Amino acid sequence: MTLLDAPVDTGTGTVGAEPLLAEGARRLADRVVRPSAAPRDRDRGWDPELFSELAGGGPGPGLAGPLVPLTRGGGGLSATQTCALLEGLGEGSRDPGLALAVVVHAVLVTVPLRAFGTETIKLDYLPRMASGEWVGGLSLRQTQGTAQAPAAVAARPVPGGWLLRGELDLVAGAPVAHHLLVVAALDGGGRTAFVVDREADGLEVGEGEPTAMRTCPWGRVVLNDCFAPDRAVLGTVGGAADEVEPLLAVLDWTFTSAPWIGVMRALAREAVGTARERRLFGRPLAHDQTVRFTLADLSIRVELASEVVRRAAAGFDAADRPSRRDAASARLFAASAARDIAERAAHLSGPFAPSGDDLAGRAHRDALFFSATGGGTEVLRPVIAASLLELG
Amino acid sequence: MPPQNWTEIVESGYLRLFHPEAVGGTGGSPATQAAALEALARACPGTYWTATVSALLCAKLIFTYGGTERHGDLVRSLVEGRRLAAFAVVETEAGSDASTFRSAVRPADTPGGGFYISGEKSRISNAPVADVAVTLARREKPPGDDGPDWCLAFVDLRQPGVRRYDIPHMGLRGMPWGGIVFTDAHVDAADVVPVPFEELAEGMAWGWLKTSFSAIAIAESALAASVRHAKERVSFGRPLAHMEGVQAQLAESRAQIDAARLLARRALHERVAGRSARDLIAKLKIYATEMAVGVVVRAVQIHGAAGVTKGHEVERLYRDAEMNVIGGFTSNRLREQVAESTGLGPAVYAEFDWVTPAGLGRDPSGLDGP
Ligand SMILES: Cc1cc2nc3c(=O)[nH]c(=O)nc-3n(C[C@H](O)[C@H](O)[C@H](O)COP(=O)(O)OP(=O)(O)OC[C@H]3O[C@@H](n4cnc5c(N)ncnc54)[C@H](O)[C@@H]3O)c2cc1C
Repeated sequence: MTLLDAPVDTGTGTVGAEPLLAEGARRLADRVVRPSAAPRDRDRGWDPELFSELAGGGPGPGLAGPLVPLTRGGGGLSATQTCALLEGLGEGSRDPGLALAVVVHAVLVTVPLRAFGTETIKLDYLPRMASGEWVGGLSLRQTQGTAQAPAAVAARPVPGGWLLRGELDLVAGAPVAHHLLVVAALDGGGRTAFVVDREADGLEVGEGEPTAMRTCPWGRVVLNDCFAPDRAVLGTVGGAADEVEPLLAVLDWTFTSAPWIGVMRALAREAVGTARERRLFGRPLAHDQTVRFTLADLSIRVELASEVVRRAAAGFDAADRPSRRDAASARLFAASAARDIAERAAHLSGPFAPSGDDLAGRAHRDALFFSATGGGTEVLRPVIAASLLELG
Repeated sequence: MPPQNWTEIVESGYLRLFHPEAVGGTGGSPATQAAALEALARACPGTYWTATVSALLCAKLIFTYGGTERHGDLVRSLVEGRRLAAFAVVETEAGSDASTFRSAVRPADTPGGGFYISGEKSRISNAPVADVAVTLARREKPPGDDGPDWCLAFVDLRQPGVRRYDIPHMGLRGMPWGGIVFTDAHVDAADVVPVPFEELAEGMAWGWLKTSFSAIAIAESALAASVRHAKERVSFGRPLAHMEGVQAQLAESRAQIDAARLLARRALHERVAGRSARDLIAKLKIYATEMAVGVVVRAVQIHGAAGVTKGHEVERLYRDAEMNVIGGFTSNRLREQVAESTGLGPAVYAEFDWVTPAGLGRDPSGLDGP
């Protein structure tokens, strides 16, 4: 399966590839994901074939491994291009939950492995993650360092590796994952990131899912002296607070926002359709100036949100370190825009029985989840302030 | 303020409405008081501030903390408009934080000589022209005095040892505003009233209520101007009033002003009935003052370029509205107070140092690690 109708010189940061990538992903997701979005949402369904199809068998960057280098079997895309790809996924799929599962796998788990994994880990995992054969998962509670809660998992050294003990909820991908990214606290202080195989002894996945994002597979993970070998350590032992944690935070803030840009576009466009169809006081709703102004404002917010998210992504393509401030402000802005747009779209579609795939209703519910994760305003604002004020 | 205006305000009975007959008032009903407050603030928010700070806020403070027995004459002089008062709390440092206030009252060296006050108050309504200042000051306590650390001093401003200055300001320009420097200014012993600091908010709430009515009136004036303009201004072949976008702005303003006014009336009713209603008034002040800013912004927008033309009514209201948000406890300071009143416990101020230990204080590595 190719994402692109026209060939794109991927991997070299070709200017102008983004619109094509977004459009390719949009079409693919529109064809493959969208038709089943509403029923999967109703049944909390996960369709492995659908994921494989998104991962892609043919030439061109698949959605499973855009950030895996070409030499390791991935799409070799830049972060900016990946962001565009995910926007297209969100817009075409109209499925925020599935898009989240893709982002968790393809970005939140993949990138720390790429950045901090040992060579054997990279060799083993990256190609299989890129092909979609191995799915990665992680707890969304672990993407904001310990801002929300102390690390729920503890690690103690044993010969040849570590024993992990603790419980994690809100683990995206858990029931279908091959491996999980886990950050654990060490006895003497400090935290270490690990990649832990799903089949490892002492690891159990139980039920536990949020009411929103129903098309993402969720689970609760219990680690009961689960062994992780030394080679599964990501980065320095005890160094997560300086290495994997800030990376995870910035990846979450940036890339889980990207599909929402697409979802917002879909919502805004659908709202225009609704306004043209519905009538009020015997006139088309589209003639009502307040509705027109609302839709104008929605389209403005989408453009603004898109810019800030792309800027945050571009931080990963630049020579300097990515900026946590840019990423946090992108998420702050995008989350508020998503909630606002979802609310107004739901408002416009009215209190009647949902029609079509009920994107307005699903997105209204899921946008709340989106804005509460990544730390929500209570984490994002102090992070931005800390950077502005050089405090914190 | 032109002297003629002051004469007319005095003659109108406005200043007397808020007080009992015993001190020269007429004890207006809550409804009358509310109507009068709003009417004067509609006519001129600056004049309203000057008159109401003196006759309502300061008179209530003197009345409440000083008592009428000793200070009946002072209250009467304010209520009759013979004297004008200022309420001097804030100094040149952070006005929200009382710990920065330095002004102090010390006993005179000779017994029976009363007290002396020194310090600088700043950004005080009526300061440049007032006759008397109800002044918050620290008490220099002799050994053995375990009374409150703070007092209200009713200081005669027409004496050596008092220097005043004007501060040019953005809005409420009809109200004189500025600083007062006390250099060993004399205060009679009876005019120094020890007050526990926590109790002061009770009296200050009169000021928040006054400011809320000012905000509501400013918003109402702005809405009235907007309605007028929407009916008159023709664009695309018909008055603006036919545009739903304009209608929506007017409707939102109407709904918000109504909500604030109803709450203001309830709060005033409670106060007049002798109940504190302090938390309610704090909530009101936050909402009403910020609401008015929103309404005025819409009004300026509806007026187009006319609205940003110097001398236009809504241009003046635009400058006035923000003054209420800051004057006499800022919104944020009051939000802290309201939050505490909900049962959250007192505000906790700490050094901001928790982002980095949580793993969020550094820029991350790029895609390929360190
Ligand atoms: C029209 C007008 C009339 C006035 N009349 C009088 C008067 O008659 N008598 C008098 O004594 N004073 C008067 N003042 C002064 C007024 O009371 C102070 O300006 C006000 O209390 C705020 O103090 P500040 O200006 O020093 O601001 P600051 O205290 O320096 O505050 C600056 C900003 O920081 C915010 N802030 C402060 N502390 C906190 C906190 N803990 N948490 C979060 N945010 C915080 C504030 O909300 C504000 O936004 C008047 C002011 C105005 C504008």
